[in-house]
Parts: sequence; C-alpha cells; structure tokens
Amino acid sequence: MSSQADERAAELRELFFQSAQELLQALNDQGLALEKNPANAAAAGEIRRVVHTLKGDAAACGMRELSELAHEVEDALTPESAADAASLPEIVLSAADMFDAMCAAYRARLDPPSGDPLRALIWKRAQKAAVSKVVGELKPSFSWTEYDQLAMGEAAGRGLRVYQIAAAIAPDLPMRTAGLELLKKVLQEAGTVLAVSPAESEWERASHVEFALGGDRDAEWLAHKCRIPGVVAQVAIEEFVPALELTEGDAVAATTATAPSAVGFQAATQNTKDAPDPTLTPIAANAGNTLRVDAERMDNLLNLVGELVIGKSMLHQTLNEFVRRFPKDPLRAKLSDAMAFQSQVLNALQRSAMKIRMVPVDQLFRRFSRLVRDVAKLGGKDVALSLSGQDTDLDKTLLDALAEPMIHLVRNAVDHGIETPAERRAAGKPEQGVIRLHACHQGNEVVIEISDDGRGIDSAAVLAKAVGHGMLPQEQASRMSEADVMGLIFEPGFSTAEQVSEISGRGIGMDIVRSVAQKLKGSVSIETQPGRGTTFQLRLPLTLAIIRALLFRVSERLYAMPLESVIEITRASEADIHHVDGHEVIQVRNEVLTLVRLHRLAPVVFDHRDGRVFVIVINSGERKFGLIVDKLVGEEELVIKPLDETIVATELVSGASILGDGMVVLILNVNEVARKFSSTRVAPATVPANKKVSSVGANA
Amino acid sequence: MAKELQIVGFRLGRETFGLPISLVHEIVRPPEITNVPQAPEYVEGVMNLRGRIVPVIDLRRRFGSTGSENKRKNRVLVVDVESHAVGLVVDSASEVLKISDAQIEPPPNVFADATTNYVTGVAKYQGRLIILVDLRKIVQMGELRLPAVDA
Repeated sequence: MSSQADERAAELRELFFQSAQELLQALNDQGLALEKNPANAAAAGEIRRVVHTLKGDAAACGMRELSELAHEVEDALTPESAADAASLPEIVLSAADMFDAMCAAYRARLDPPSGDPLRALIWKRAQKAAVSKVVGELKPSFSWTEYDQLAMGEAAGRGLRVYQIAAAIAPDLPMRTAGLELLKKVLQEAGTVLAVSPAESEWERASHVEFALGGDRDAEWLAHKCRIPGVVAQVAIEEFVPALELTEGDAVAATTATAPSAVGFQAATQNTKDAPDPTLTPIAANAGNTLRVDAERMDNLLNLVGELVIGKSMLHQTLNEFVRRFPKDPLRAKLSDAMAFQSQVLNALQRSAMKIRMVPVDQLFRRFSRLVRDVAKLGGKDVALSLSGQDTDLDKTLLDALAEPMIHLVRNAVDHGIETPAERRAAGKPEQGVIRLHACHQGNEVVIEISDDGRGIDSAAVLAKAVGHGMLPQEQASRMSEADVMGLIFEPGFSTAEQVSEISGRGIGMDIVRSVAQKLKGSVSIETQPGRGTTFQLRLPLTLAIIRALLFRVSERLYAMPLESVIEITRASEADIHHVDGHEVIQVRNEVLTLVRLHRLAPVVFDHRDGRVFVIVINSGERKFGLIVDKLVGEEELVIKPLDETIVATELVSGASILGDGMVVLILNVNEVARKFSSTRVAPATVPANKKVSSVGANA
Repeated sequence: MAKELQIVGFRLGRETFGLPISLVHEIVRPPEITNVPQAPEYVEGVMNLRGRIVPVIDLRRRFGSTGSENKRKNRVLVVDVESHAVGLVVDSASEVLKISDAQIEPPPNVFADATTNYVTGVAKYQGRLIILVDLRKIVQMGELRLPAVDA
C-alpha cells in the first residue's frame, strides 16, 4: 500500500499509545477509589467508560487481543454481573497492569502477552456472582404516580425525611404477601408509609417492592430494620429530594444505603452525600481545553525566546555605549523608552513561553497511590499515602526525569521505612503508616519531599555497613558528621536493608536518586529521626532555560552562578582564613564555612590592592560554603545553552551562555563544585581526579 | 577516469593535513574562546558561533605540536562530526586541493599502531605529502581519554 497510508496508521498508533497511558492512569485511580469504597458508583461508572474507550481504540488500531480482552473485562464490569463487589477492584487493577503490558508489547511490535491470568480472575468472579445471582438483582425504579409524588413532596415540606425504600424479596420465601406485610408493619412503626409499589395485590409475583416512607429516622437505621432475615434479601434506600426539577422517570440524586451483600452502584447515578470523587474531576475538566503539541515545537519556541533575551542584552550594551558617547543626544531618552518597553514585553513572553511547558506535579504524584498499595500489600503493611501541593507546576522534562528517582524513594519508604503493623503497635504508633508526598516552590527552586513516619535511618548502622563494605576507613568514619553519614546512603552499592527484598534493597536505587538530582542540577538531602521517620528532600531548579546569575572572575576567567544559590558576598584577607583538618575555613557571622577555590586552573592570586579576596557564600542543598573569587563582575539574565556532551562534558558546569558582547560564559553547577572541591570524605571512588586535590592542597 | 576529491588543506607545525571539503562548514578567525574546567587538555574550550556554543579542539595540541609563532594566520575550522559542530584550531588553512583517487596511498606502516590510526591515507600533491585524517577518530579518541571521574 501507499506509504501515506502507512504513515497515517503509524500516527494513529502513536495517538493510541498516548491516550492509552491516560486511560490506564484513570483505570488505576478509579480502581483504587473503588477499593477504598466499593459503593463508589461514580468510580465504577468511570471504569466502565475507560475500558469501553480502550476497547474501541484498540480495535481501531487493529490490536485484536487487547480489544478482545477489554471486551471481556467490560462484560465482567456490567452492573448485572457485579454482585461480588469485593473482588472488583482487584480485577480492575490487574486489568490495568495487563493492558499496560499489552500496550508495551504492541509498541515494541512484539506479540502481546496472554490475557489468560486475567481471564481466570474474571471467570472465578463470575462463578461467585452466579451463586449470588439466584438472589436476583435489586433494581429499584422508584416510579411513583403523580399522586404519590405529591404526597411525598408534601411530607418533605412538613420537615419529614422522606425515603424511597426498595426491598428485594428472598426468592425462597413461601408466603410472599405475608412476609411483605411484616415489612410494611416494620415501616409503619418507623414512620408514615406514603406510597407502595407495586400494589399489594401484585406482591405474590413481584421480585421486589418499593415503599415511600416519611419519618425522622436515618437511612442506616431503616436499612437495618428492613433487613428481615428470610424475607428481605437486599435493601436499597434513597432519600427523596422534593426538587422542582424532578420530572418523570428522572433518576433521583440520593444517598444509597445497602445491605452488605448488595452492590450500591446499581441505581444511583450520583452521590450527594459523598462529594463527587475528586480524582474524577481532572479527567473531565481537562478533556475539553487541552491541545497536544509536539514537545519539539515548544522547545523551538523557547529557544527563540532565549535568542531574544540575548538580543536584548546586546541592545542594552549598545545603548550604554551610545549614552557614553553622546550623553546629550535627545535620541537617548527615546531609545531607553523603547528598550524598556521591549524588555517588558519580552519578560512577559518569556514567562508565558515557560508556562507552556509547566504541568502540575499531580500528574506524577497520582502514579504513586498504586505503587504504595502494591508494595505495602506485598510487605504485609498498612500504608496510607497523603499528597499535598499537587498544584505545584513543574517543567515537563523535569517531571519525566523525576519519575524514576521518586519511585525508588517511595518504594524504599514503604519497604524499609514503614514498620509492620505489629512493630508499629509495639512502638505505640498507629498501625497504619503514612507516606507523605509534598511539593512546593521555594524561590526559583521546586522542592519535593517524600516522608514516612516509619523507623528512621540508624546512622550507626549506616556507618558500620560502610566500613564493613570497605567504603571508608574506620578512622575516617569516626570523624564524620551526621549529614556526611547520611550522604553515604547515596553511594553506589550501598543498601541498609538487611535482606534483599523483591521490591527494593539492592542498593542501586539511592545511587540513581542522587545521579538524577545531579543531572538536573539539583540536590537531595535526608532528614531522619530514629523511630519517628525519614524525609527525603529533592531540590531542583524550576526552569532550566533562563536564570538570573552572578558573574565573577577567577584567575581572569569569567564564570556565572545562579543568583538564588548566593546567600551573601563578603571580603576576606589571608589572615581570616584558617586551616582546620586539611580544610580551609572562614568565619562569617558566627558560622564556620568551608572554603572552596576554583584556582586549580591557575595559581591563586592574593595580589589585590588591599590583599583581600571576595568570598561568595553559597547555599548548596543543606550545606553552606564559601567560594573564593578574584573579582565580581555583576548580575545578568542568562539563557542556558547546553554544552556538547561528548567533548566538553563536565559536571562542574551546568551549561553555558552567551553575553551581550558575544563572550561565552560558563555557568557553574554549585552543588557539584561544593561536592568535588570541599570534601575529602568518603571512599576513593568519589575522590575527584587527583590533579584537583593536589593543587587545592598545594594552595592551601 | 579517476575520481577527484576536494580536500581542505591545513597546516599544523610543518605538516599539511587534509579533510574532505564536505565535512568543513566554514573557516573562521579564532574568536574569544572560553575554557572549560575538567575538559581534556586538547579541548581548548567553547566559542560562540553566531549564537551557538561550539566546542573547540586544539588540533596542534592533539597532534603533540606546539602552536606556530605566527598567530595571525591561525584559523578555526568548523567541522561536522556526526551532526555536531566542532571547531578545530589549526596553524593556518587556506587552500582547497583537488586530489585524484590515484594519488592517495594507504597510511604507511609506521602509523598503523593504535594511537595513530586516525590517518586514513597519505596523498602526494605537487611534491608534498598531505595527511588525510579521520575526523570521527580525532573527536572520539577524546571521548575515550575522558576519565570517568565519578565512577
């Protein structure tokens, strides 16, 4: 066939995989919602809708196996066969996994995995349902005559609570009419029976009876009363809402209370008592107004904005020169005005262009409810996940890059952090552990915290293990600070788990966390309290494209660093610098800071007129240190451009930028500079290349 | 008829080297070059090529020679290595040579050891010897030499 048709098919497939991801996420979310509350009719409805969509889409793309399986799942999910509510979430969640695996296979153009395990699960459930089917389904219609409705409305107007009660008659009840009279009597005691349907004369043949009752009891109490053993098999109760918009046959929004064996979502289309499931709203709200755009097009736009910012600083320099040369020229003011206007618009343009790439962190957080549930189940633990700050916006690339380290951190928190229910009880804590995910903006950084209220990390155990693994010598271990000890967790090949579990504990996870944080020019830190829990904090630069930077010179070379990592700038003479334990330190405002020199590239110069140097006090994650520089140049807005990875890649530099005069300036990666130049801790593996150390030492 | 190759000739010290003209984007006077810490020694730094940041390799240091005395003639060849632009600093570059296939000989045995196999051939041109180099090897060897600092 024509290549054009092929192309269209490929495009269609791509579209399918994209939307399938969203559908599967929704399936997971709703499955979990259903697990929490099996009577959640909205979730059940959403699940059916999702599976149905998936079935249709898969069929359209020629993915027969997926489509067929989805069809079977859809069948299993119909309200008619849904008598056994307990196993439903399990089926939904395994279906989500199965569909995911199949999509991955289709994407890689492999044979999809067999759906038989899922089919077995569905079949098992169908068997169970078949047994309970004998009871018959309870499908209240609540179709009252106009007269009945009037009576009910009037009763409600008198301040009574009006309920519509549907009772399914036990199929093996020998004398139906007599049995139902009993029920009617119970109800008459509870309030005023306003209407009965069907009429008493037809009770012998009816499968269920409906009453309208006015009274002051609540639904639970009524449901309990109505459940007469041997007579009534199921009860469904809805509160009658005497709304004006109540027209013929309208499903009434009401509260449903059901007997434990019944499934609650049969009739209710909406729950007024429980607010609509919050996880549902984003899906519905997003559907209308989003536009899918190729990420590459957006990057192009951002690049162009970046070029404009460079152009702006070029213009600015030219204007300055103009002002110097023709200080009296009237054109000067006009030019400045035009410049000011242009940079204002440019700033707005830059902000909105950046915003395009921003997505709420909720997209990432939502994935974890499933993970926490699975890991907790496997470890026999009871863990709740609490999310906060989901609205925090994050660059999409950042969000994608964060998924993997977050998975490791969350897994670890459940698997190692949270204790078993028995241990927790013994420690006087509630049996259910809590994992908290929190996101917020701080300055130009985004902070993501993963905390648990588990057992905490035992720093002595960490040290012992590091020494045991030969990662550092004993005498060094005894001198390490608490923060440094915790840093060991991120070393490659380190794991504190006593036994390697199926989920985590091979000691590679934390290593990944740190390397990803570094790659994103951010940092990660730990705070732990034995017995109280652990918090991991990831700090990442908010936008990767344009920053405000401080420019300075070291050995005649120009460097820049993000302004937000600068705390203060101070001056120091040689006499202020002390040597402690092989480090150079300086005292600034009652704080002793480790000093860092970049002068390995050229010998240090103390030959300023007054023999003093500038010390930039820098905040890198939890640590502070001082960077010695020769000269401060100023502050400027910089567009970060990547450096060629293969030839000049270095972790010390997070990128480069072009100044207004065409010079290239390197932007230092503060965290890496701090790590490499200030630390002599830890094993040889992380000691930076010998040259630096020796030259720093020689200068010291 | 023998195929004719167009070669950009450039000088490093006393030798003339050559690269196929299709790989050379442009030849510019050396702009201000910004050094990059921790880069391999022969990497001169990065330069601004009309808004793009391009790494610059000093070929003279790469081939173990020191720069020539006459700096005014120095040039940067902007070449294309696997769709990355890279600048190469050379002593001078001015000529485009037309060399037929027949004039090119395989690299002599003395070059055949592992460290010098960036030579793809030697061309005889008007009594001179022109060393044809494999661009990819020059840049890739740099990558190999980059020590893994953070194992």
